[in-house]
Amino acid sequence: MNKNSATYTFIFIVAICVVFGSAISLVHYSTLKTLAKNETLNRNRVVCNAFLLDVNGDSPQAYQQAIDQNIIFRTLSSDTRNFETFFKRDTNKSDVGFVFSGMGFWDRIEGIIVLTSDLSQVINIQFLDQKETPGLGARIEEKWFTDQFKDLEIDWTGRVDQRLIVGASSRPNLTNRVDAITGATQTSLALEKLLNSELNLFREMYNRYQSEKE
Amino acid sequence: MADTAKKIFIKGLWEENPIFRQVLGVCSTLAVTNLLANTLFMCFGVMFTTALSSLTISALRNYIPRRIRMIVQVLIIASYVMMVDIIIKALNPDIHRFIGPYVGLIITNCIIMGRAEAFASQNRPWPSFLDGIASGLGYSLILVAIALIREPLGFGTILGYALPAREIWWHQWTIMVMPPGAFFMLAIATWIGRNLSPATPKRQG
Repeated sequence: MNKNSATYTFIFIVAICVVFGSAISLVHYSTLKTLAKNETLNRNRVVCNAFLLDVNGDSPQAYQQAIDQNIIFRTLSSDTRNFETFFKRDTNKSDVGFVFSGMGFWDRIEGIIVLTSDLSQVINIQFLDQKETPGLGARIEEKWFTDQFKDLEIDWTGRVDQRLIVGASSRPNLTNRVDAITGATQTSLALEKLLNSELNLFREMYNRYQSEKE
Repeated sequence: MADTAKKIFIKGLWEENPIFRQVLGVCSTLAVTNLLANTLFMCFGVMFTTALSSLTISALRNYIPRRIRMIVQVLIIASYVMMVDIIIKALNPDIHRFIGPYVGLIITNCIIMGRAEAFASQNRPWPSFLDGIASGLGYSLILVAIALIREPLGFGTILGYALPAREIWWHQWTIMVMPPGAFFMLAIATWIGRNLSPATPKRQG
C-alpha cells in the first residue's frame, strides 16, 4: 500500500492510537490500587494536620489510627450539596471541620477548614488538591499562608462575601483578614470567593443539623 | 554512517549538551532545581521519555507517513509522558504534587522533539535509544549540578537532610529557592561549560 495514501495514513493513525491508548490504560490500571492508597494517605494526613492531631509516626496506619481515635465523620446533606464533615471527639465543644471546594484561578481547589463549634473562629486550614500556578498561586499550601488562618475570626455580621478577607482592605485592624500572595492576586481572590461561599452554605446546613440533633 | 555509542554519549553529555550548548529544556531547569529530590525525578522522567520515544520513533520511521510524522511523534512522546506521570504519582505522590505540572510539560520539551526529528527519524533503533539516554543524561548532568548548589544555599539541606552549618550559622539564601536563583546558576553553568569546550571557529564572510 502506498505509504502516503489517505487510506494508509488513516489506518496507521488509528492503529498507533489504539496501541498507545492501550499501553497508557494498562499502566493506569496496574497502578490503580497504589494510587487509591496514596489518595487515602494524603487525605488522612491533611485531616490530621487540619485538626492539629498528634500522630505517632508517618505511616498510613499511624494517620488512620489518629483519625479513628479522634475524629467522627458525618455527611451533612441538603438537596443541592453534601458536606463531608468531621467532628473532633472528646471535647466539650467539639471542633468541626468540613471539606470545601470551588474554582480557583486555573482549576478546582479543595481543602479542609476546621472551625470552633460555634463557627466563630477558624482553627486551621489545609489543602487537599489545587492546580494553581507553581511558585505563585500554588503557594496557598505553604505554612506561612495557612498559619495566617489560625485563630482568625469569621465576621458573620458583615457582608456575605467578606466573612473572611484574603488580601488588602481599606478598614484597619480587621480580625478576619489574611494577607494575599504577592503575584497571585487571582488565586487569592478566587480563594476568598470560594471560602466565603462555602462558609455561608456550611453554616446553614450545620445549624440545621444542630437543631435536628437537639 | 551512524555514530558509535561512545561518540553519541560524548555529544549528548558535552559537545551537544541540550542545556548549555543548545539551551533547550530551560523551563523545567528553572522550575525544579531548588530541590535535588524533585530534580532527580524530573531527570528520570525526561530520560525515560527521550530514550523510549527515540527508540519507538526510530523503529517506526519507515512506516510513519511523512506528512503526519510530527503528529505521530507528539502522540508517542505524550503517551510516554502520561506513563511517567502515572508512575511518579504512584511512586511518590508528595514529589508529584510539586513537579506534576512540569512533568506534563515534558511533552513540549524541545530536547525530546529535537532528538526525535534530528536523530531518531533518520537512524536505527539502538543508536536512537542511546542518543535518547545520552541527551537525557546531558540534561540531568546540568540539572543535578544546579540543584546541588541551589538546595544547600537555599534550604541548607541535601535531599532534605539538614547540613550541619544550617543549625549553627547558615542563613538561607531565599533567592536560591526562587526562579531568579536558577537563572543565575544556569548562566554560570553555561559560562563554565562553554569555556571548557573548544572554541567554535568564527564564521567567514
